Amino acid sequence: MSDLLFRNVRIASEEAAVTESQDVLIQEGVIQRIGQNLVAPEGVKVVEGAGRLLMPAMFDTHVHFREPGGEHKETIQSGSEAAINGGITGVVMMPNTTPAIDSGAVVKQVLAKAKEVSRIPVLTSGCITKGREGKELAAMSGMRDQGVVMITDDGDAVPESSTLLRAMQYAENFDCFFASHCEVEDLAGPRAMNEGAMSYKLGIQGSPAIAEEICLDRDIRIAHAAGAHVHIQHVSSALGMETIRWWKTMGAKVTAEVSPHHLLFCDEDIGDYDTHYKMNPPLRTKKDNELLLQGFKEGVFDILATDHAPHAEFEKQQDFVNAPNGITGLETALISMYHYFVKEEKLTWQDLVLRYSAEPRRMMRLAPVPISEGARVDLLLFNEEGETTFTKDYMKSLSSNTPFLDKTLTGSIDMVVLGDRVLLERNI
Amino acid sequence: MMGPDELYQGVQTLASLIRENLSDAPVAIVGIRSRGDEVAERLCHELASEEDREVDFGVLDISLYRDDYGHLTSNPKLEGSDLSFDVEGAHIILVDDVLFTGRTIRAALDALADYGRPGKVELAVLIDRGHRELPIQPDYVGIKLETERKDHVLVKLENTDGEDSVEIVKAS
Amino acid sequence: MSVARKDLLDIESLSREDIDSILEQASPFKELFTRSVKKVPALKGKSVLMLFYEPSTRTLSSFEVAAKRLSADVTNFDVPHSSVVKGESIQDTIATLQAMRTDYIVVRHQMPGLPAMLSRMTQASVINAGDGAHAHPTQALLDAFTLKEVFPDQVNKRVLIVGDVLHSRVARSTSTLFKKLGVEVAFLGPGSLVPEYCAPEIPRFTSYEDAMKWKPDVVYLLRVQMERQKAQFFPSLREYHQLFGITSERLKQLSDAGVYIMHPGPVNRGVELCHEVMEYERSLINQQVENGIAARMAALYYLKPQTGTLT
Repeated sequence: MSDLLFRNVRIASEEAAVTESQDVLIQEGVIQRIGQNLVAPEGVKVVEGAGRLLMPAMFDTHVHFREPGGEHKETIQSGSEAAINGGITGVVMMPNTTPAIDSGAVVKQVLAKAKEVSRIPVLTSGCITKGREGKELAAMSGMRDQGVVMITDDGDAVPESSTLLRAMQYAENFDCFFASHCEVEDLAGPRAMNEGAMSYKLGIQGSPAIAEEICLDRDIRIAHAAGAHVHIQHVSSALGMETIRWWKTMGAKVTAEVSPHHLLFCDEDIGDYDTHYKMNPPLRTKKDNELLLQGFKEGVFDILATDHAPHAEFEKQQDFVNAPNGITGLETALISMYHYFVKEEKLTWQDLVLRYSAEPRRMMRLAPVPISEGARVDLLLFNEEGETTFTKDYMKSLSSNTPFLDKTLTGSIDMVVLGDRVLLERNI
Repeated sequence: MMGPDELYQGVQTLASLIRENLSDAPVAIVGIRSRGDEVAERLCHELASEEDREVDFGVLDISLYRDDYGHLTSNPKLEGSDLSFDVEGAHIILVDDVLFTGRTIRAALDALADYGRPGKVELAVLIDRGHRELPIQPDYVGIKLETERKDHVLVKLENTDGEDSVEIVKAS
Repeated sequence: MSVARKDLLDIESLSREDIDSILEQASPFKELFTRSVKKVPALKGKSVLMLFYEPSTRTLSSFEVAAKRLSADVTNFDVPHSSVVKGESIQDTIATLQAMRTDYIVVRHQMPGLPAMLSRMTQASVINAGDGAHAHPTQALLDAFTLKEVFPDQVNKRVLIVGDVLHSRVARSTSTLFKKLGVEVAFLGPGSLVPEYCAPEIPRFTSYEDAMKWKPDVVYLLRVQMERQKAQFFPSLREYHQLFGITSERLKQLSDAGVYIMHPGPVNRGVELCHEVMEYERSLINQQVENGIAARMAALYYLKPQTGTLT
C-alpha cells in the first residue's frame, strides 16, 4: 500500500500547459485531492516534489519483447521492467515472435505469461497472416476474443494487395484496426539504410524512401476502400507523412505514429558503419527529421511509439549489412524527447502527454490516466533538472542497442506509481 | 665543434688519400643517403677537377636494407637510389659522412650487391668516430674523432642543412 | 614526427601527409623493377596474410608480388568464395589469425566496412583490398601515382570517370583521392548507374557529348559488371558501348585532343572500349598494372603493424 502526498509538484496534462506547484494526495490507488498546502493524513508518506513534474504515465503501442523465441534479446519480464524504467505503464507487443502471435492460442499464452511476470499491463497485437508469411489470413476473430485490437504483420508489409484488402474486409465487424509496416520489398534491397549520398559513400545498397511511401499510400487506399481503420507505423519520410496528411483530409480512417529515433537521428549518424543506427524503416535525412518534428507538432502523427527492438550485442557487432535492424527505445524515449525537444522549446509537455500517454491509450480502447481528483493512479514523477546516464547497469532491457548507451542526458524519471504500487523510485 | 674549414680540409685529405691509391682504371663514387651523398659529390668534384679523370657518381638509399626496421615507430623516408653506371665489375668507393657502428655500411653492401657484382668496393668516410659493432673498417678517413659510445655526432652539410659544421653532443 | 598509421582502410581517413608519403615512395620502389635483383629486404621476417573472400587473381597477385619483393613471407588463407560469408564467421577467423601472428592482413570481402571491423580486432596492419562497393584504396593510390607520372602537377587536371559509379568501389576511392589531390573529377553514365544522389559535389553527365564539352584530360573507364545488365541497369552491352564506350571514332577524337585513357582492368573489349585502345599511345592501362605493384609496396612499407617490438 502506498499512500503518498506529493508536495510542490507541477502537473502536466494533455489539455493544458504545465501548472504551478501544487500538492497531490493519493490514497488506495486513487488521486484523492489536488490543492495548495495539503496536510498529509496519518500514515501517508510525503514526497518533496521541489518543482518536479507529475504527469500521466506513458504508453507505448509498439514494442518487440521477443518472447517467445528470442529470449536472449528480451523477455516479457525484462521488457516490461525496461518500460517502467522509462516511465511507461502499458505496452503493446508486436507479433513477430517465434512462433508468431497469429492465433488465439498464442495470444492467450503470451498474455498469461505477461500476467505472471509483468508489473504493468502488457497487451499484444496479432498477425494479419499466418506466421507473418503474407499468404494465408491469420485467425483474427480468435485473437480478437483474447482481447487483441491491433492487427499487424509488423516487421514486414503484406506483399499482396489483395490479401490485405480481404483481411480488412473480413474483419469489418471485429472492432479491430490494422497497423501497417510499409515497405515495397523489391525496392528495399537488403533493408540496410536509406538510399542517398550516405549509402553511396558507404557502398551499401540503400532502401529509397519511395519503398515506404508507395506502400503507405497503398495501405491507406486499401483501408479506405474497405472502410477499415489503418494505423501507419514508424513513419520515417516527410513525403510519407504528407501522404497521410492528405488522406486525413480525404476522410480516410488513418492514424500514424512516429518514433523518437526518426525525429532525432539521420543517415549521416551511421558514420563509420555504426550498427546502433541501423533500423527499419531506416534513418533518412536531416531534412526529414525537421519536417517530421513539424508534423508531430501539427498533429499529423497521432501518437509517439518507440518500436523498441532489442538485439544482442554479438548480433549487432556484425558487419553493417548483416547486423539486424532495430534500436531499443523504452528507457530512452521520454528523457531524450525532453532533452532534445521540450527543453529546447520545440515541443511541450502537453504534446508528449497527449501523444505518448493519452492518445495511445485511446487507440487501444483504454481510458487516459490524467492527474485529476478521483482518477486512478497511473503516473510518473519527472525531474527536469536531473541527469540520466544510460549505462548497461541503468537499463533494465536485456539489450543495449542504442546510440544513447553510456551517454548522459538531462532529465530523470524519479518515480512511477501504478494503482497502489510504487513501481520505481529514485532520487526521492 | 668543427666548422667549414676543418670539413673542407677533411675532404681534401680524403681526396688525396684516394688519389694516391688510384690507378688509371675507372672508378665510381657512391654516396650513402643522407649526407654521404653530399660528401661524395664534393669528393667527385675534387677528383675530377684536378686530373682529367672520368669519375662515375651514384647515390644509394639504404632505407630498405636497415636491420632495425622492427624497432622504428615509423619507417625511414625512402628517396631511392640512383646508380646510372653498370655496377657489374666496377670499382666502387662507398662514401659516408660518419662511420660509427658499421651497420649502415653493412646495409649499403647488401644494397649494392642487388644491383650487380662489383669488382672492388672500398670505403671512404669523412669522419670516423669509432665504436664499431661489425667487422667493417674504412680504407680512407678524412677526420678521426675520439668519442664516447653514447655521444651524438651531429654533422651538418651546406646543401642538406644550410651550413658546414660538426658538433659532439656529450651523453648526459 | 607524425603518428605511424596502422591500417589502410579507405581514402577518407588518410591525411595529406599519408597520401604524399605513399605516392612519393612509390617511385623509388618502381625504380627497383629495373634492377636485376628486384627484391629488397625491408620486410624480411614479416608475414603478410592474404584473406580474399572474393575471387580476384589480379589484385591478389599484385599484392603477392609487392609483398614478396619486400621479402615478406606471404600466406594465402583459404576462404570460401562461393557462399556469402557473414560477419559472424569472420570474428571466428580472427582468433585463428591472431594465433598465426601475422603482421599484415590484406583483405577483400563483399561486405562494406568489414576490413574496418577486422582492423579493430587485430594488432596487425589491415589493408583493404576491396570491400563491396565501399573502398579500394590501393587502386586509388596506384591511379594517383599513374596520373602524377603523366602530370607531375596534377592540380586542376580533369578526370572523367565513366560507367557503373553506383556499384564501383574504384569510382569511390579514386574520385575521393583525386579530389584530395586537387584534381577535378566528373562522372559519366546512365542515371541508373550514376544516380543523382551519389555525390552531390561531383559534376555528373549522362551524355558522352556533354561530358566531352567539359574537356577532360583523362577518361577513366570503369569495368562493366555483366550481372548489371541482367539486373536491368541497362538494356544491352551493345547499347552501353554505343552510348558510353570508347568507340573507334571517339578514340580518334580523344587522340586529337590529347586525352589519356585509364581503366582498372580487366578490360571488356568491345564494351568499355574498342580493340584499338590497346595500341593507343595515351593508354595508361598497362602502366597502371605495373604501378599497382609499386604503390602496394609503398603502402606496405608505409604502414606500421602494432605486432612487433616497439621502442
